[in-house]
Amino acid sequence: MDRRSFLTAAGATVSVSFAGCAGLGGSDGASTEASNTDESTATGTSTGDAGGADETLVVGTYSAFVDSPSTSPGAWVKQRFEEEFDARLIWQTPSNEVNHYIERRNAGVDIEADMYLGLNTDHLVRVDENLDDGLFADVGDVAGQDDIKPGLQFDPDGRAIPYDTGYISLVFDGTATTAPETFDGLLAEEHAGDLITQNPASSATGRAFLLHTIKQFGPDGYLDYWSDLQDNDVRVLGSWSDAYSAWSGGEAPMVVSYSTDQVFADQNDANMEKHQIRFLNDQGYANPEGMAVFDGADTPDLAREFMGFLLRPEIQGEIAVRNVQFPATDSAELPEDYAKLAQEPPEPVTFGYDELKGSVSGWISDWERQFASN
Amino acid sequence: MNRTGPPAVELDGVTRHYGETTAVEDLSLAVREGEFFTLVGPSGCGKTTTLRLIAGFEDPTQGEVRFGGTSVTGVPPEDRDVGVVFQNYALFPHMTVGENIAYGLSFTDPPGGGSAEARVQELLELVDLGGMADRDPDTLSGGQQQRVAMARALAPGPDVLLLDEPMSALDAKLRERLRVQVREIQQELGITTIYVTHDQEEALAVSDRVAVMRDGTPEQVAPPRTIYREPATEFVATFVGDNNVLSGAVTAVRSTDAADADSGQTIADVTVDSATLSVALGADSDPTSAVSPGDRLTFCVRPERLAVDADRNPLTATVTSAEFLGETTRVHLDWEGRELLLRAEDPPTDTVAVGFAPTDAHIVDRRS
Amino acid sequence: MARDHDGDAKGAGSDHSEKATETAGSPSRKRGRTVRDTIERRAIVGLAVATIALLLGIFYYPVATVFIDSVLVDGRWTGRVFISILQDQFYFGEPARFLAGEPIASVIEGVLSPDRRLGVIGFTAYQAALSTVASVALGLPAAYLLARYEFPGRRTLRSLTILPFVLPSIMVGVGFVATFGQNGTLNAVLGALGLGEVKLLFTLEAVVIAHAFYNAPLVARVTTAAWESVDASAVETARSLGASPFRAFRDVVAPQLYPSVLMGAALTFVFTFSTFPIVLALGGFRLATVEVFVYRLIRDLEYAEAAALALIELGISLGLLYAYLRYEAKHTVRSRGIRPLPRRPLRPPSLSVRELLPRMGLAVYALVALAVFIAPIASMLVASFSGPEGLTLANYQFLIDRQTTGASFQVQPWDAVRNSLLFGVASLAVALPMGVVVAVLTTRDYRGRKLVDAVAMAPLAVSGIVVGLGLLRGLVFGVEVGGSRFAVGGGLAIVAAHAVAGYPFVVRTVAPGLESIDHTLVESARALGAPRARALLDIELPLVWPAVIAGAAFAFAISIGEFSATIVLASGTNQFTMPIAIERFIGRRLGPATAMGVVLLVVTSASFLLIDRLGGDDVGF
Repeated sequence: MDRRSFLTAAGATVSVSFAGCAGLGGSDGASTEASNTDESTATGTSTGDAGGADETLVVGTYSAFVDSPSTSPGAWVKQRFEEEFDARLIWQTPSNEVNHYIERRNAGVDIEADMYLGLNTDHLVRVDENLDDGLFADVGDVAGQDDIKPGLQFDPDGRAIPYDTGYISLVFDGTATTAPETFDGLLAEEHAGDLITQNPASSATGRAFLLHTIKQFGPDGYLDYWSDLQDNDVRVLGSWSDAYSAWSGGEAPMVVSYSTDQVFADQNDANMEKHQIRFLNDQGYANPEGMAVFDGADTPDLAREFMGFLLRPEIQGEIAVRNVQFPATDSAELPEDYAKLAQEPPEPVTFGYDELKGSVSGWISDWERQFASN
Repeated sequence: MNRTGPPAVELDGVTRHYGETTAVEDLSLAVREGEFFTLVGPSGCGKTTTLRLIAGFEDPTQGEVRFGGTSVTGVPPEDRDVGVVFQNYALFPHMTVGENIAYGLSFTDPPGGGSAEARVQELLELVDLGGMADRDPDTLSGGQQQRVAMARALAPGPDVLLLDEPMSALDAKLRERLRVQVREIQQELGITTIYVTHDQEEALAVSDRVAVMRDGTPEQVAPPRTIYREPATEFVATFVGDNNVLSGAVTAVRSTDAADADSGQTIADVTVDSATLSVALGADSDPTSAVSPGDRLTFCVRPERLAVDADRNPLTATVTSAEFLGETTRVHLDWEGRELLLRAEDPPTDTVAVGFAPTDAHIVDRRS
Repeated sequence: MARDHDGDAKGAGSDHSEKATETAGSPSRKRGRTVRDTIERRAIVGLAVATIALLLGIFYYPVATVFIDSVLVDGRWTGRVFISILQDQFYFGEPARFLAGEPIASVIEGVLSPDRRLGVIGFTAYQAALSTVASVALGLPAAYLLARYEFPGRRTLRSLTILPFVLPSIMVGVGFVATFGQNGTLNAVLGALGLGEVKLLFTLEAVVIAHAFYNAPLVARVTTAAWESVDASAVETARSLGASPFRAFRDVVAPQLYPSVLMGAALTFVFTFSTFPIVLALGGFRLATVEVFVYRLIRDLEYAEAAALALIELGISLGLLYAYLRYEAKHTVRSRGIRPLPRRPLRPPSLSVRELLPRMGLAVYALVALAVFIAPIASMLVASFSGPEGLTLANYQFLIDRQTTGASFQVQPWDAVRNSLLFGVASLAVALPMGVVVAVLTTRDYRGRKLVDAVAMAPLAVSGIVVGLGLLRGLVFGVEVGGSRFAVGGGLAIVAAHAVAGYPFVVRTVAPGLESIDHTLVESARALGAPRARALLDIELPLVWPAVIAGAAFAFAISIGEFSATIVLASGTNQFTMPIAIERFIGRRLGPATAMGVVLLVVTSASFLLIDRLGGDDVGF
């Protein structure tokens, strides 16, 4: 257990936690960790192996990074890092992700994590719009920073640095339709009712698609485009899985998803014809994922070492493969065939921090009011 | 009967409101140890509320209930050592007869120190239901259920037995038989018993004393004979048994001499419509409240005291109908537009002259 | 109504009593005060205090930490957030124009015009009303079948009717796409019959059917119980007076069913009024409900508007529940020692029209039920055994692999099953006494008790997202007292949160029963020496046992299905439950999640069969 989180700020923190009482100690090797997690006061998952480690690094992230049914990099990263640095790595996966830490900071409760992994641009905007004093420290000296692709840097204030990126594109069933090449093509009669996307408020892909239309048509034009899209029977479902399962079930031949779709299709030996990728207007909306050290972290140096570790070519390659995303650096070592299945758009586009700040909530809210008007 | 100690149950200035309505108003009663005390009255008179106040199911809005001289304010029903039998018996439907009777014994040791089973047997025999212990209550007749309820209430050996219209759901014959049994059991155990009924006949038959209730207050508290013969109010006079109530102005008050038929009585002459009737004022009538001419008197004469072809206070009436009751016949008469009741073995027909002795009239009200 | 004295007067009272007994001349045989005795005497008050403390600590306080944001903005009290929502046509439709000060005539014109706006709140109420009608329509025939007919497997069927209640929306989504989708089972069957195809998905109809899938079983269960409590002799009396079977039903049976049907309807409305994931999964954003916006606003940390919107949502739900409770209080049928109506065999005893007609109706209903209830669940089963190459056990293999080789910070299937059952049983053990005590408190006579009753139902009606945030703020972050921070989380907190979420069902099933018990039964027990708590345990609860079991089943189901509080309070993966495992197992392929979903189905089915068996031979629900 990282005792230090109790010994910070003003006075001691007493944590009343009942995990053990309900007889929920693990039945296997995890049992020692159960007591660890007990004391870290319910931040979702936070677990680490006890060992003779000198230092402990607590990393907040989203659950799919450490626990998803296909593959996730969390376990591999933890093992490699601990072997090399003689430190303990604890993953923490609060259910409401970055908001959890914003809430803690707002409530004046101490943050037990040292850094966060999985920030995107609008997270950062949300942090800055809701906290006067900020949540993250300057990135400082991190090895390998220079290798990051310039287009992916999304924090002008130099706190967050990207570690991977995804591209949002259309995925379509080639046996049922051929996706149009342009946004305007989606309005064609032949594609009426063909597209499923997601609620921008609850889904990263849905949000990226909406932002892509704003990028394309401008803040003054996107609502008109959406009005036409709605007339052409676009479906906006709640979550990525709602949309993907409806698409898989044949409800519509096109879905907004990731351009790495074929990687999964390949893993499942699916028919590639049914998993075609289309970059509208030859563009893919980039959704770079970043990491940053919390202001007031206990082990900021270890955190920066960890960030440097993640940017190493061999680690970058492995994360990209295991997270089914693209590396953030030019120097990443990717397997040969990865590029065949994971497609990169000819032209990545994205909104930068400055463009989103002050605008994104309004854009989404205006869209909601138009789309859901009853 | 212990008449020297404090009353077994005492209500002192008890009032009970339900929101706007008053169920019991400034009620004071004292029930003696070992007494069979009956609250009788029409529905809504507050008799059941009184019983519930004694049992502790309700609290008085004002006043105090005392058991053996000690206030039981705030004492919950389970600590009052009362046994209660309800009109619907309230037998626990998910328990056998035996379990019902034994229920109270899970909170107290059986009186006399025996086992609970023995106590259950003893009580089943007391109420003539030996061998019924394993039956379900709903397989019993109404009378049997009533006796199980009695046995259950008595099992823990309560100090006071409270009976709330326990016979009203039974047929007349059974009711009469059971009330005798209830009285016998009460006498045998010597248990202070408070009995609520709307049936005045039942009240007179079993009680040591009766309180006739009306609108939340007792009109009269007295032994049955007194209630019947000397009702304190017109209400009591008419509620308890049949009665002929007449009222009129006093024209004269006179004494009688020893030779007279009404020897030693003071007689008032009362004008009721066209007739002038003689009414005895009673030997011990209070001189201060002495009746004087001009007063208005209300008096009653029991139907069985009216005599056919009597020469005293003759009233010529017409027979309107007759109910044959077996032993006697209740004859409805019309006398100058008033209904009179007459009890007779051989009912008259057509026109009849009835009369009554001045001493058979009982005065219930006097206004000057 | 009797007032009880379990409180402070107790000690003094017993002294008086003993003195009274002594003066009366017979030595008291009352057993001395034992510890157990003391507990029994204080049980109701103690439980009531504990219940109120738990509700305040685990529910009202945490939720208040969120709701306060609607009126306390930037440190200042204000009502402007509410006012701006009320005047916003987007939320309130045409009435908002009136609230915004537009002339009434033009507003009425707006309401009457064909392109009137319902607003999000109006639409949410509209779809909830439709869903309620559909749930009642689909629930009543099931109640009729279960209450009035005897057939093999009847009890099992009745036990399983609660299953839809615990299914995560993702499972229902999968099942519905497979059943009602363009390439779904329904269209395949219709196509084979040459009936053309229907396009149901992404319409209001699909959402309404999904809501009926969730809630018709609720209506069916409560109505079945009421039907089984109808006294046969009342019906026989009506028949003997010359009433036709229909008239006997209308005049004798139906009035005894109305309160239960309305309870099912009221709860259905409340649940569907705050519906969230299923609307977006099957209807799409076009049909967004209030809760969708509450969720979005909270996610974007726009707490003032989110809290105000959630409060308005809660106010409407509680208003409806209050109206129902007022009705229930007036329409409780007092009954005692009933003889239920005999069940008829499902196989018609003769071929007369009178015997055949209702059974043919049931056959038609069975087809509808097959499509609405059975097919989606069957589709989930099929999906769990499906892969790109057809049938496979790979999804279950995944569960086993995850159990054996998964990292400790990953959710383990068996742990999730064990936790769900542990939390379910433990929260049941808490929710039952809580619910019974609140039922006892709300069936006493006092002014405003129905208001108290309605407020006690709040856990059913508060937005799950608000509860999650409240628990985070109120419990997980803790309260600072004298320089130390007291935080609550972990297993016991989860149990408490589940109990708070489930107890209203116990109240709703038990309270009408308690109210209908002849109060002289309790008074007899009290007079025989039973403290209030013993009278409750020995007399009242055995008499309403079917209702207790029904409440228990619902409370257990709530615990099994609970997600938002669990994930916030869990202090580690080792406290995750089945719904969380399902959520985590959602990936590019839905197979692993559906396999876990089937595990949830199997585990809960077994649990409910067991719970109903515990209820005795023929429990009401």
